Amino acid sequence: MRRSLVIVLAVAVLMLLGIIYYALDPSQSGVFPRCTFLSFTGYKCPGCGSQRAIHALLHGDVAAAFKFNALLLISIPWIGLCLFAEGVRLRYPRFYDRVNAPLLIWLYLAMVLVWWLLRNIFNW
Amino acid sequence: MQYWINHNGVQSGPFELDALKEMGLTSAAYVWHEGLDDWKKITQLPELQGVYEMVQEPEIPTPAQPTAAREQVVTGQPYQQQPRQPLATEGQTMPQHDGMPSAEQEPCPPTNLVWAIISTILCCLPTGIVAIIYALKVTNKYREGDIDGAKRASEVGAWWCIATIIMGILYVPIGVLVSSMKTLLM
Repeated sequence: MRRSLVIVLAVAVLMLLGIIYYALDPSQSGVFPRCTFLSFTGYKCPGCGSQRAIHALLHGDVAAAFKFNALLLISIPWIGLCLFAEGVRLRYPRFYDRVNAPLLIWLYLAMVLVWWLLRNIFNW
Repeated sequence: MQYWINHNGVQSGPFELDALKEMGLTSAAYVWHEGLDDWKKITQLPELQGVYEMVQEPEIPTPAQPTAAREQVVTGQPYQQQPRQPLATEGQTMPQHDGMPSAEQEPCPPTNLVWAIISTILCCLPTGIVAIIYALKVTNKYREGDIDGAKRASEVGAWWCIATIIMGILYVPIGVLVSSMKTLLM
């Protein structure tokens, strides 16, 4: 009961955010929050460009989304898989172990750090 | 139904239910029968209630890894003879242990990896990366058999995720306000 309420709420919030990010373009409109890390340090964080990338994705423009934040695009299937694994953790513990293999987490961590570094060097 | 037994690291079987009662099994024994996808602790099978004796378990002996069982079952083998690998019948394969934690072990505590990834790419705070490192810690400790350590890392990692997401959410109204003011002033 509690779990289904949480899922309904999460879907409602996601849909609302989807509508906002579909209707308004973060690179045009001024209402979107700017990245804290970028504001304070002047350097891009691994998540910079996510809002513009989501806007582009909602309009079906995968190429533009990739340009705004490549990490976000790569992460989407990963997030889906991990979320599913988290949901069935107790029912399929072996599947959970496979998805959460140290090698895979290392790979993701390395990807984030390399992306963070390179995007600040080449201004991606 | 026929049961295979792993008691104190020695595998034997198959046995009928009646035979199990005379074996002096303890609650530390593991059982497998056709249809189970992995070894179960004897205490987990309700139909085996009463065939074993409860004992304190100082350490849980993990059943030896059943190797690929391609031989045919030899029935009528008394269990006192050399321990046999449980064998698969009619092409059914025994559960394989390929270095993964086995099912009778506790399942891995949540690594919170999804939330760590989401907070890394959406909350604009490098603290999400700390949460990913904790996810790694959970899965590594779990693989070393340090369940308590894994649970602790899981909890700490969860707090990093929560902190990152809360800071991200708290920042939204401030960020929206600042951005809107800038646009209005320009």
